[in-house]
Amino acid sequence: MKKYFHFICLLLLSPLFLLAQSKTGSLLIKNGTVLTITKGNLSNTDVLIVDGKIKQIGANITAPAGVKTIDATGKFVMPGIIDAHSHIGIDAVNEASNPITSEVAVGDALNPMDIGIYRALAGGTTSSHAMHGSANAIGGQCQTIKHRYGTMNPEDLRMEGAPRTIKFALGENPKRVHGEGRGIQPRTRMGVEQVIRKGLDEARNYAAAVKKYQEEKKTNPNALPPTYNRRSEVLAGVLSGDILIHCHSYRADEILMMLNVCKDYGIKKITFQHVNEGFKVAPELAKFGASASVFADWWAYKFEVYYSTAYNAAILTKNGVLTSINSDSPDYIRHLYHEAAKTQRYGGLTDEEALALITINPAKQLGIENRVGSLEVGKEADVVIFDNHPLSIYAVPQVTIVDGIIRFDRQNDADDQRLEVDPIKAIATYSRAKHDVEDDRCLDGVFEINLDWFKNE
Amino acid sequence: MNKRSLALTAAFLIGWLTTVLAQSTDEALQPVTKTFAFKNVTIVVKPGQIIQNGTIVIKDGLISAVGQNVAIPADARVMPADSLFVYAGFIDGLSNTGIPKPEPRPGEAQGPGQQRGQAQPGRNPGTPTNEQAGIQPELRPRDLINPKDKSIEEMRKLGFTAAQVVPNGKMLPGSSAVILLGGATADAMLVKENVALFATLSPATGGFYPNTVIGVMSKFREFYKQAEQNKAHEKMYAANPVGMERPTASRSFSALYPVIEKQQSISFLAPDLKSIYRVFALQQDLNFQLILSGVRQGWLLADQIKAKNIPVLLSLDLPKAPDKKDAKKDSTAAKDPEMVSLEKRRAEEMKNYETQAAVFAGKGITFGFSAYNAKTADIRESLRRMVKGGLKEDQALAALTTTPAEMLGVSKTMGSVEKGKMANLVVTKKPYFDEKSAVRYVFVDGMPYEYEITPTKPVDANAKVKAAGKWSYKIEIPGQQADGIFNLTDEGGKIGGTWVSSQDGQARPISAAELKGNQLTFSAVANVGGRDIPLDFELTLESAKFTGKVKAGNFGTFDVAGTRDGDPK
Repeated sequence: MKKYFHFICLLLLSPLFLLAQSKTGSLLIKNGTVLTITKGNLSNTDVLIVDGKIKQIGANITAPAGVKTIDATGKFVMPGIIDAHSHIGIDAVNEASNPITSEVAVGDALNPMDIGIYRALAGGTTSSHAMHGSANAIGGQCQTIKHRYGTMNPEDLRMEGAPRTIKFALGENPKRVHGEGRGIQPRTRMGVEQVIRKGLDEARNYAAAVKKYQEEKKTNPNALPPTYNRRSEVLAGVLSGDILIHCHSYRADEILMMLNVCKDYGIKKITFQHVNEGFKVAPELAKFGASASVFADWWAYKFEVYYSTAYNAAILTKNGVLTSINSDSPDYIRHLYHEAAKTQRYGGLTDEEALALITINPAKQLGIENRVGSLEVGKEADVVIFDNHPLSIYAVPQVTIVDGIIRFDRQNDADDQRLEVDPIKAIATYSRAKHDVEDDRCLDGVFEINLDWFKNE
Repeated sequence: MNKRSLALTAAFLIGWLTTVLAQSTDEALQPVTKTFAFKNVTIVVKPGQIIQNGTIVIKDGLISAVGQNVAIPADARVMPADSLFVYAGFIDGLSNTGIPKPEPRPGEAQGPGQQRGQAQPGRNPGTPTNEQAGIQPELRPRDLINPKDKSIEEMRKLGFTAAQVVPNGKMLPGSSAVILLGGATADAMLVKENVALFATLSPATGGFYPNTVIGVMSKFREFYKQAEQNKAHEKMYAANPVGMERPTASRSFSALYPVIEKQQSISFLAPDLKSIYRVFALQQDLNFQLILSGVRQGWLLADQIKAKNIPVLLSLDLPKAPDKKDAKKDSTAAKDPEMVSLEKRRAEEMKNYETQAAVFAGKGITFGFSAYNAKTADIRESLRRMVKGGLKEDQALAALTTTPAEMLGVSKTMGSVEKGKMANLVVTKKPYFDEKSAVRYVFVDGMPYEYEITPTKPVDANAKVKAAGKWSYKIEIPGQQADGIFNLTDEGGKIGGTWVSSQDGQARPISAAELKGNQLTFSAVANVGGRDIPLDFELTLESAKFTGKVKAGNFGTFDVAGTRDGDPK
């Protein structure tokens, strides 16, 4: 028993273990400059968090008994940053074996032990959209996660109740993997469109067959259901609007093509990801009501991304397109506030417009704007406290809070934040391929399985 | 190498490997009598129940008498076993023992760089056959067992007399069977078929769908529900086929029916924490009976496992601690405070692995052990480490005998040393978990296997031997020639060189060579028909000769010996 006693003591001493015990917390943030994003800026203001929700925003709030107070005097308090495109916290990115894989879901392979989550928290990012990769014209379902680092349970990472989303991909990636790699459709951008249309057609037929079966079953006990098909089942959810499309895209022509596909199938909501030529078709995107999630100033990493501009986010915003700035990278996710600030140098966006790009706008694109993305009474207490204005080049996140629980604290940032330790090697092995940022991570996992093809290049 | 000689080499080496697979190395002697007796032995009847100075009589495959005052029949061969320890033969909860890894067929995926699924133009790896997708729940060990497979002897040497075995494979490799680890034919070894359905979260190879864990998670659900649909369809069709579309006559679907009817559990391979969570997610969706199998990292979920009342097969594949000598060599690292704290966490984590069995026992979780993926050479050490980690010897013994016998539904015939049970026994020099203990006899189904207790040649870390030079080697593959030359060099302690097989004359480099005292280890790669087979040599050198072993990928481990022919040119 003595042995276990030591073991239990070790666990109790670990701060992360304590964090994992409760799912929500209470805090009082005193006397900060509160950037609410949606309701203006409030100086010398307190934010009271009770059981993971924002209870009160105002002056001279006293902390209820037992509630910890954080002094934010001279500091800036803003909603936790939201990244509408990343691949952290998941063990598999691409099921690249078929041009359509709507049936798979990265939410089935959540990895709460990914140290990238802690690093994202250190950059003030409290939620991210863990996306399937872009190997397929229709990829898998994505998962909106909350950065509750400290839990070992994958389910705790899931932002429960967030709308379901799915990855679509246009252009070079699906062409390269399936067309050039295997000599199957899609070999061209035209082929990509047809793959998507065919998938949606099949889903429409499947949904009709299921409906017909359910009707028939009422009168005929021997009615046979259509063969269970998860691929079509999920795409039927896309057609019905239950599942939101996030579409990897670069070129203006294919963006317009995809808008036409949406029109033809009655799909109302779509967010274009990367969308580096979005500035060319901003009015069309605005007219449709499509939104855009872009890089601040990252392009030319492959042929179809040569034509782009750092003014992209500003042009889209000024044209009335709901726009966000994303990372698609375990590095950029740590400084999205700098990425947002670039839109002030390139396009002159206001502080409010720039900060919206990484808070309320991505929240809207993910369908979670009623819960996070701004500091308002009743919303979930995902908060980051900066020492300087977050758009200042000197800004450094000090405390990051998720559901009222401090998940990152710069004053209490131990050297070794791993949750899972290799019992064989003291030093964690660093996988270069996984962390390189020479290319977006959307093709993660594809290179390995297409080795032959790359070799023959 | 031109194409023709490549083809010849490939043909030869494939022949070599086929022969390797078919070789036997240890055969049960046909006994003169089928009656045996042990007297004056310590009999561990079952965990916690011991008979001192006892006698056991075995007759026609059964234990016919156990006790202190037992008469030995006249026709009994009395085994020289004075003061030895007798246990019920161990039962391995889950492994591939006796089932050779399937040979890749021509044109099939053969590891990285050979991913034919993609390479064939116009072929979509997204529409695989069930076999390519790793979905073969209809496979049965009976059809796959090779009674002469080396793994059977290796496990038996450790005291295992029975095992639940499963086919090799990916998502749904097949059903399991309880077999005896001894017998001339698969049929003779078979005790019970269709014990459980085996499943893993491993993606298909060759780039075929499902190629990732997310693919497997989806395909598993889809396949399971389609099997449910087909089963309902078959039932309706059987009642009245008139005017009804015919259901699919699928062996794969029907293999799932006992699971759907809850007459059979799924033995789901879930080594790590995340896999356990993923398997729980599937179980919640599909509501099948579950045996968590091959568990290595499950201690954090012990309470949940207990609450769900799920039986567990703990993996005998414990992670091995790094070589302490290596760590000490780097004295600067040892002083670095960051390294010290990293090493401390590593050691703590290792402790979690080692104490897991004790934690599970403490919670009252039903568990046996699984040799799946474990190196047989490490199994005894792993068991000892678990005992050091707090697992009581009785609990360890229960997990090796009575508990798996109950879990597998064979407790009437196996798991304890009692009259009327199958004569599956292991006889050791000292108590089994004692470090100095050694297995002297193993009885499987009343048939004796005898092991000489000879101390292995000690590894001498201080010995001074010269590795550099020309050595001729011979690998002991009965009935098969496998010999050649090692040309070894030693540049300031860095061992390098080449090996040349006499069979094809090709010189190939060796790698990761290391000489520690008189122990030389190095790796090499044999190329067979475009497929690389790793060879790991472990040799004990003397001045003019060496002995040792070579592990040839999945094909097993073979003895190797050689002599020094001279210095390298």
